[in-house]
Amino acid sequence: MKSTTAQSARPIGEALLNRNRFRLLGLTPDEIIKYFFNGNAVVAIVVLALITIFLFREGAGFFGQNRHNLRIYRLAGLEYVDFIRRQVDDHTALNRALNESRLAQFTKLTAAGQTVEQANAGLVPFDAFATTFGDAVEDVRGVLSDLTEVAMAIKQKEQVNRDRLEQKGMLLGAGKKEEADKITVTPVNFAAETVTLKGAFPAYQEANKQFATKLGVALAAAPVMPDPKLQKQIDAVKTKGQALIAAIPGTERAMQAWKHDEPIPLSRSLTSFLFGRQWLTASFWQDWYGILPLFVGSLLVSLIALAIAVPLGIAAAIYVSEIASAREKNFIKPYIEFISAIPSVVLGFFGVAVLGSALRGLSQLSFMSWFPGFPMSERLNSLTAGCLLALMAVPTIFSLAEDAINNVPKHFKEASYALGANRFQTITRILVPASLSGIISAILLGFGRVIGETMVVLLCAGNRIAIPDFTEGLGAFFQPVHTMTGIIAQEMGEVVNGSIHYRALFMVGIMLFLLSLAINYVAQIIVRRYRISIG
Amino acid sequence: MKIIQFLSIPTALVLAVSTASAGKLVIKGSDTLGAKLVPQLAEAYKAKNPDTSFEIAAEGSTTGLTAIIDSTADIGMSSRHAKVIEESAAEAKGAKLTPTIVAYDGLVVIVNVKSPLANLTRRQVEQIFTGDVTDWSALGGAAGKISIYTRNTSSGTYSDWKELAMKKRDYAPSSQKMAGHEQIAAEVGKNPSGIGYVGLAYVKAAGVKMIKIEGLELSDETVRNKSWPYARPTFYYTNGAPAGEAKKFTDFTLSDEGQAIARKVGFVPVK
Repeated sequence: MKSTTAQSARPIGEALLNRNRFRLLGLTPDEIIKYFFNGNAVVAIVVLALITIFLFREGAGFFGQNRHNLRIYRLAGLEYVDFIRRQVDDHTALNRALNESRLAQFTKLTAAGQTVEQANAGLVPFDAFATTFGDAVEDVRGVLSDLTEVAMAIKQKEQVNRDRLEQKGMLLGAGKKEEADKITVTPVNFAAETVTLKGAFPAYQEANKQFATKLGVALAAAPVMPDPKLQKQIDAVKTKGQALIAAIPGTERAMQAWKHDEPIPLSRSLTSFLFGRQWLTASFWQDWYGILPLFVGSLLVSLIALAIAVPLGIAAAIYVSEIASAREKNFIKPYIEFISAIPSVVLGFFGVAVLGSALRGLSQLSFMSWFPGFPMSERLNSLTAGCLLALMAVPTIFSLAEDAINNVPKHFKEASYALGANRFQTITRILVPASLSGIISAILLGFGRVIGETMVVLLCAGNRIAIPDFTEGLGAFFQPVHTMTGIIAQEMGEVVNGSIHYRALFMVGIMLFLLSLAINYVAQIIVRRYRISIG
Repeated sequence: MKIIQFLSIPTALVLAVSTASAGKLVIKGSDTLGAKLVPQLAEAYKAKNPDTSFEIAAEGSTTGLTAIIDSTADIGMSSRHAKVIEESAAEAKGAKLTPTIVAYDGLVVIVNVKSPLANLTRRQVEQIFTGDVTDWSALGGAAGKISIYTRNTSSGTYSDWKELAMKKRDYAPSSQKMAGHEQIAAEVGKNPSGIGYVGLAYVKAAGVKMIKIEGLELSDETVRNKSWPYARPTFYYTNGAPAGEAKKFTDFTLSDEGQAIARKVGFVPVK
C-alpha cells in the first residue's frame, strides 16, 4: 500500500522510465506488446496458409476423378457414339438456321402488307427445300439413337458394379463378411461390350451413304429466292451442307481408328478443364467440367463493368484533384467512397427489381432498334450485371487514381503552367502521363474487385452456362452468362461432399484465387515502376 | 433461396450435435418438403402436443437419408427413392430405410400470360427444354426466341425434370439456371417468351399461366392415376417402421388435417 502511494506520487516521467520493472509471466510490457502484435500477424498468416492449403487439397483430387470420368467415357463407348452425335448436331444447327431464315422472311413479307396465305405461297419452294434438307439425316439419326442406348447400358453396368463394390466395402467395414461375400462383382468386359457398338459400323456407313446422297440432292435442288438476304442465307447453308458431306469420310476414319482402351493421359484431365467449352453436370450421358464458359462470362461482365467504371472513376478523380473547389471536393469525395458501403446484395436486388427491366424496356423502344443486339431478349444479362459491378468498381478506381494524381510532384504542374500550357493541356499532357502507371494499377485493382464479386452476378447475370455468341458482335454483351464466382455460390450448397462436382467447384475457386493473385501482382509491379519514374 | 440454405448449414451443424431425445423430433432432408410443408405441419402438431419440440433442417434429400443411416434424425425427408447404395449403407450400419409416401409434388409448365399457347404435348416440352425447338413460332406461338428457365444444376428438381420430361437428355445450353421456384416464376412472369417449370404452389405468381399437357391439367385425379406426367412422390424415411413420436407425427401428416395443410402449400394429397 505504501509503495503504491509512493509510486503515484512520483512524477510521470520517472514512472515511465521505470515501467520495465513490471513483469508478467517473465515478460516486460515491451515484450508483451511486441508478442501481441507479432502473434496477431502470425495468426493471420497461419489462417491464410491453412485456407490456401485446404483449397488446393480439396481441388487436387479433381484430376484423378476427372481422368476416371473421361476414361469411362471412352471405355463405355460414349466417345464413339458422340462422333455420330456431332454430325447430327451440325446438321440440326443448319436446319435451325433455315427455320430462322424462313421466320425472318415471313415476318418481313407480312410486314410489307402480304397476307399470311400470300407469304406462305411465296415460300413454298423454300419449304420444300427445308423439308428435304431436314429429312436427309433421318437414317443417321436412327443409328445414333440405337447406339446411344447401347453405350448407356454399358455405362450403367459399370455404375452398378461400382455401387456393388462400395456396398461390399461398407459391409466388410461393418464386419459383416458373410453378406459381403454374397455380393459378386464381375468386372465389365468393355472389349466385348463395345464390339456391339463397332458392329454397327456397316449400318452407319450405309446410313451415311443415304445421308450424303439425300443431302446432295437437296442442296442441288436449292431454290433461288427473290430476296437477296434470304438467297445469301441459302447459299451459306449450301456451302456448309457441302462441308458436312465432305466431312463424312473423316468421321468414318476417326471412328474406325477409335479404340475403347486407348489410355487417357493425366494432362487431358487438366486440359479438358481449362479449355473445355462445356460445363455440364448431373447429366445422364456424360458430365463435362470445362471452365471456359464461366471464365468468358466472368471476363465479359468485368469488361463491361470496367468500360463504364474507368471513364467515370478517372474523370471524377481528375476533377476532384485538379478542378473542384474545396467545397465540391468535400462533398464529392466522401460521396463516391460511400458507394462502396452499399452491400452488394442490395445492388443485386436493385438489379433484379429495377435495372434489368429498365434496360430491357429501353432496348425495346423502336428508335433504339438500330443498335446491334437490341431489343434484348433477357432482362438479366451481362450488361445488367456489368452496370451494377461498375458502380462497385468506381470507388476503388476513383480513390486510387486520385492518390496517383496527387502524388505527381507539384513542380511538374507549375512548370507546365509556366510554359504557358492551359489547364486542359496540363491535365492531358502532364498529369495523366505522369500518373499513368498509378492509374493503370487502379484500373487493375478495380478489375480484381469486380471479377471476385459474387452476389451481383449471381442475381443479375442470367446464369446461362454457355459462351456468348460473339458472331452477333455487340449483341454478345446483352446475352446472359454464368460466372466463376456465381457457379460456386449456386452449386456448392447442394453438391455431394467429395464428389467430382464438388472438387470441380474447388478447382474453379483455385482459378479465381490465382487470377486475383496475378492481378494484384501486376498492379504492384506497375506501381513500383511508377515510383522509380518519379524519382 | 439456395443462399439462405447455404447460410443455414452452420445452424444445421448445431442441430446435428443435439440428437434425438424424448419429446423432441429431429427432421432433416429435402428442401421440397422442408421449406414450407413440414414446418407448417410441425406448428399445427405442436398446437396439439405442446410438449413436443422440433428441429427441422432442409438441405436436400441426400442429407435426410444420411441422417437416418447415421441415426442423427428421427425422420428423413426425401423427394426421391433411396438409392441402392444408400440402402446398403444403412444395412451395414444396422438400419433399415423405410419410406412412407406423405404427399405428391406436382410440377407444372408455366409460360407468360401474354403467350397465346394453352396446350403442349410431352414431345414438345421435351423439344423445348432440350433446345430442339428454339422459336415459339414452331409451336404455334408468336414468333420469338424461347427463353428457358430451370433450377440450378445441383438441385434434385433439376435432374428429376430431365427424367420426367426430357427422356434423360441434357438441357439446352441456352437454359438459364435460377436459384429457386420463386425466381423461375418471377422471370417467366416478366418475359413474354419465357417458359419454366415450378411446383404447384408457385403458379399464382404474377404474370404466369399454367400450360395443359396433352390436354390435361394437374389435379388430384391426374396425379394419383399417374396420367399427369410431371409428378413425383415425396417421402418420410424412417429407421424401420415409424415408432413413438415419429409415428405420431407421420400419422398426423397423413390425417385429414395434415393433408389439408399439404394441399394449402401446393402439394397433392395422397388420398
